[in-house]
Amino acid sequence: MCSYTPLELIYAGGFLPYRIIGHSEPPQNADSYIHSNFCQFVKSTIDVAINGGYNFLEGVVFVNSCDAMRRLHDVWKRYVPTKFMHILDIPMGTLSLGKHYLKEEFNKLRIALENYASITINDQDIVNAIELLNESRLLYNQLNSLRTENPPKITATELMNLTSNFFKTDPKNWNEKTKGLLDKINTYPNVQTRSNNPRVLLSGSPLHEINFISFIEDIGLNVVYEDLCTGSKFFDLIINDSKDILGSLSEAYLNRTPCARMMKLKERADQIYKNAKKFKVDGIIHHSLKFCDTYLYDVPALKALLTEKGLNVLFIESDGGLGNINQIRTRIEAFSEIIKN
Amino acid sequence: MLEKYFTQLEASLKAKLEAKATARRKFVYEIARIGTRIFDDNWSIGWTTVFVPYEILTSMGVSGMFVEFFGAMLAGTGMSSKYLELSESKGFSTDSCSYHRTIIGAALDGLLPEPDVLIGASIPCNGGVKALKRIGEIFNKEVFILNIPIDITPKSVDYLTEQFEQMIEYIENETGRKLDYNKLKNSIRYNNEAREYLVELNKLCMNVPSPANSNDLKNFIMIVLLLGTKESVEVAKLYRDEFKSRIEHDLKGATEEKYRLMWIQNRIQFKTDILSILEEKYGAKIVIDELNHIWWDSMDESDPLRSLAKRIITHPLVGPAERRLEVITQLARDYKIDGAINPAHWGCRQSAGARVLFKDALQKIGIPLIHLDVDCVDERNYAQGQIMTRLEAFLEMLSTY
Ligand code: SF4
Ligand code: SF4
Repeated sequence: MCSYTPLELIYAGGFLPYRIIGHSEPPQNADSYIHSNFCQFVKSTIDVAINGGYNFLEGVVFVNSCDAMRRLHDVWKRYVPTKFMHILDIPMGTLSLGKHYLKEEFNKLRIALENYASITINDQDIVNAIELLNESRLLYNQLNSLRTENPPKITATELMNLTSNFFKTDPKNWNEKTKGLLDKINTYPNVQTRSNNPRVLLSGSPLHEINFISFIEDIGLNVVYEDLCTGSKFFDLIINDSKDILGSLSEAYLNRTPCARMMKLKERADQIYKNAKKFKVDGIIHHSLKFCDTYLYDVPALKALLTEKGLNVLFIESDGGLGNINQIRTRIEAFSEIIKN
Repeated sequence: MLEKYFTQLEASLKAKLEAKATARRKFVYEIARIGTRIFDDNWSIGWTTVFVPYEILTSMGVSGMFVEFFGAMLAGTGMSSKYLELSESKGFSTDSCSYHRTIIGAALDGLLPEPDVLIGASIPCNGGVKALKRIGEIFNKEVFILNIPIDITPKSVDYLTEQFEQMIEYIENETGRKLDYNKLKNSIRYNNEAREYLVELNKLCMNVPSPANSNDLKNFIMIVLLLGTKESVEVAKLYRDEFKSRIEHDLKGATEEKYRLMWIQNRIQFKTDILSILEEKYGAKIVIDELNHIWWDSMDESDPLRSLAKRIITHPLVGPAERRLEVITQLARDYKIDGAINPAHWGCRQSAGARVLFKDALQKIGIPLIHLDVDCVDERNYAQGQIMTRLEAFLEMLSTY
């Protein structure tokens, strides 16, 4: 569910990681299980789960990432029969003690998986999984770097589709397909003519609706980086090989580009700035999911930090779906006019 | 302005206390003194979230104050609307917790004295840490974050103890004050003494009818600010004595009791008389507030930091909801309640997310629960009539249950 879940351990245990990302339709039964003032991600997830939509999963790994996620875990545990359930406690803030703690937490997950499946996950299995997933990230980043060009050689919608497939496919197959795609783009760089539209970076709460991004692109903006845990940021992670493999793994995850729940706002702003420069953006759209405290609490301070750095930022809030999207259309259009000049 | 408020409050409470010493008066007076203390130059100031160990702060000469307390206090004095509006005008979402939005507004307005240290714990909610971060930015100060581990294991206790050690270092660096270990050990002794009385006074409230009235222990969670001091022992002892004497004197001083109720999480903080109406008109009494439960064991004086770490890690609000549900169920049984009220404070994700689980857990033991769906701090949309009607219907249902 959360991008702090060490996929490497799951894969090393012989399981296929499948990312739950909810949906953007109005939830049917969620209100009877969780309060209506929860983010669309949590509401839609519990909705699908209650209706048996995730029954094909062997188990679920939760992360203690925000108050809403903690309760999602509890409600799921009570109402959705699931064979394997585990909750990871990821520390936030900057204390160095967190590294050791996270390693312990990862080790607990490893043991829990071992016990559940009566298997042994040895270090080599983990190293193999790290290699495979590092390759996925490398491939993604190669494709992603095609967006530094103007016009970008690949659209956000195309990349979001790729990301979304990654969340449900065996990384082995995904890597093969992505290699093919890379070759194709490298051989025929101008298969599609792209426009010189203003370039934006999209940041904020996780988004689960690819069409949301297409919507922004259709307004006439090129989205060139998604600072989202469901977008480019997800692949911004490389794990080093070492003797202490769980140590490397936990260190990499703990120090990955922080999302809002890590309480490192300055680092987050710096990272956004760095990517804004790298991808030569004209503006930033920051989207918060309604009821997502994690991101909403940051809005005023982030606005100040980014504006201070001379960036143009538009802050929007919605349920991430397409239902009421026209309400934000005018604001994005107006923003597009501003950054064009 | 705030300083004047607290000084006047302290003086008037002192006068009342001298006129007639009741436990409640003593409690409120001691809390007001902590309010005045944040303007006392002999102390450093620490803004925190609710569950940080004040024993450590107090032993270092740091006057700790939790932000939720301030939200509650400003609501109680009818001032929260102003600060809510201010924070909203600065872009803070109206969907987040109003305890936090109020204090952020107050900080933006220059109402809060500048903190020397800011310490936020990852429980009960992440919103608290975020709010503290925003307050830190206003004063250009870093926030020290305590990650409370969710599993109860010796390793978790080690981890939190080490964090305490770093927290002490942080406080030393920021304030130049050293931790006096003997003071800290003493505070554990006071803690244990107070704990005995607290457990005892709670037991007395299990008596049917209860010696306590609905508002005797209102917001008693604020006692955490006093823990580890001789004042906490005095307050707890006074309550114990008072309740004991009420029971010995045929419950003189206690109101009539037809229904025994449990209150979940925090009370409504702005002025409202719904509980007095329930009590006086219907004999419906809050006999236990969930958060007044004493969940920790007596602590080891020779090992203060680990003892305090254990106390926090075992808090029912840490980790998955299961522990909390167990406690709620146990309290329902121990206090022989007829029904439970959950205000379901708007904006409190950690609690609202478990609302169905609360109902479900209590239903299993045949206890009805009502969710009020109010905002406990923001009175701008409060509709007393509606709430009252629903509560009346609830009581009627209880009478036939
Ligand atoms: S971080 Fe935001 S989007 Fe993610 S689960 Fe929490 S509230 Fe929902
Ligand atoms: S009411 Fe909930 S969100 Fe607000 S401070 Fe308390 S625990 Fe946090």
